[in-house]
Amino acid sequence: MLEAKLDLKLLEMCSKCGACYAICPSCVNIPSYDPRAVIKDILDGEHEKWINHSSIWQCLECHFCLEMCYQHYGFESAMTAMRNIATRKGAHPPQVKRGWEMFVKTSRLGEPALPARKKLGLPEPKASGAEEFRKLYALLNEKRQQHKAE
Amino acid sequence: MKDFAVFWGCTIQTRFPFIEKSTRMVLESFKLPYRDIDGFTCCPEKSLVNNVDHGAFVVTAARNVALVDELGYDLVSPCTGCVSNLATVKGELKANPREKAEVNGLLKEIGREFTGTASLKHLVPFFHDAVGIHTIKQKMKRDFKGMRIALHYGCHMIRPSHALKADDPLNPVKFDNLIRGLGAESLQFMTKLMCCGQGLDRIDEHDKALDFARVKLKELKAMKADALVLCCPSCFLQFDNNQFLMEKEGEKFGIPVIYFTELLGLALGFDAEELGMNNHRIDCTPFLKKWEELSARPAVSAGIEEGLTGPNALG
Ligand code: SF4
Ligand code: SF4
Repeated sequence: MLEAKLDLKLLEMCSKCGACYAICPSCVNIPSYDPRAVIKDILDGEHEKWINHSSIWQCLECHFCLEMCYQHYGFESAMTAMRNIATRKGAHPPQVKRGWEMFVKTSRLGEPALPARKKLGLPEPKASGAEEFRKLYALLNEKRQQHKAE
Repeated sequence: MKDFAVFWGCTIQTRFPFIEKSTRMVLESFKLPYRDIDGFTCCPEKSLVNNVDHGAFVVTAARNVALVDELGYDLVSPCTGCVSNLATVKGELKANPREKAEVNGLLKEIGREFTGTASLKHLVPFFHDAVGIHTIKQKMKRDFKGMRIALHYGCHMIRPSHALKADDPLNPVKFDNLIRGLGAESLQFMTKLMCCGQGLDRIDEHDKALDFARVKLKELKAMKADALVLCCPSCFLQFDNNQFLMEKEGEKFGIPVIYFTELLGLALGFDAEELGMNNHRIDCTPFLKKWEELSARPAVSAGIEEGLTGPNALG
């Protein structure tokens, strides 16, 4: 339920195109970064090669490829799917691990800076939705378990 | 105009409360009907949460939007990432009734419902479309005539365009229009739409993040831009903080990084300190000094008036 997906039919078309390569900022600025190679391996049944590779995390999610794409697909679809697989195997970068832990625990990526707010004369921050969020996330995981069991 | 909730997001409230300050100051100045509401969480940050658990990304954003839907408000944010993430999920649920039903099934158990009625807007397109350049001009006390400004839109102000519908995703104009409305020149340059690259700092690739910052800062230095103006806390972090780190290592660019709300605030007559600009890592003084010098010059009209009406040789 609500899992990440990858459309292999579109990916097949994508492997014959390559149009967005020239507009992708990571392709232009990181010499070793080339989603075309990742896509080729996925289609050859060898996606595992990339699970521990830093490349899959170097996609900036800038959505340039998505906007350029005649299929409204984008290199990023393949990179996002690969990141999801890597994460499920525990191969995500340490900072992503820390960020995720903080997010599930507190529902935020940091707490409002209270002393600085006071100095600036800002009002008290509003109540966070942490508790409700935790309930919601637990519900999602419960439903997933039920789906799996069915 | 409908009342709107401001979605501040984690980064502004955690790291850059002065951005909240200048945003509130400009919203107050235009007497806009903004609200602070209880119950928001992280938007959530796509590059983190969606890479770990797509479902968590969807339900968290849907819940945040539901809070605004219920109140009958719209939503405006001074963070590009927040709006883009919330709008991405809103778009996904609107296009996919089955998924929407699944999400609402979960939300119902905590007493919420996502309807997707609230419009979700970033502050820049909001000022452009809902406030309007004409109104801004009427309120302005000073303009930026003669100032050379390099704009950085920030990817998520305009993309993904199917969800945001904010501006042209590959050739945006609204931020430029606003800057020109404030009287400044909006420079056109090669790396104008290049992604800031801050994301690389979030995956333990600091050196590569600096490489990205360097590409743009080098071009801006060569062009003698007076400032880089943007409206995204991640981009701000990248160009202010990371520029500062490079300067500490001896690489000097000297490009002040100014938030849109600060620039607008200056035009409205607030001073830099009350807007919180003294909290930047890169000193804004060179920008402010040049601006003062330009403003101190007599107006062009003064010389013409003098020539037309002053003493003459005709007798
Ligand atoms: S989203 Fe990723 S793959 Fe697509 S253009 Fe941006 S960096 Fe490249
Ligand atoms: S993502 Fe779209 S534009 Fe880019 S190579 Fe694939 S099919 Fe072509």
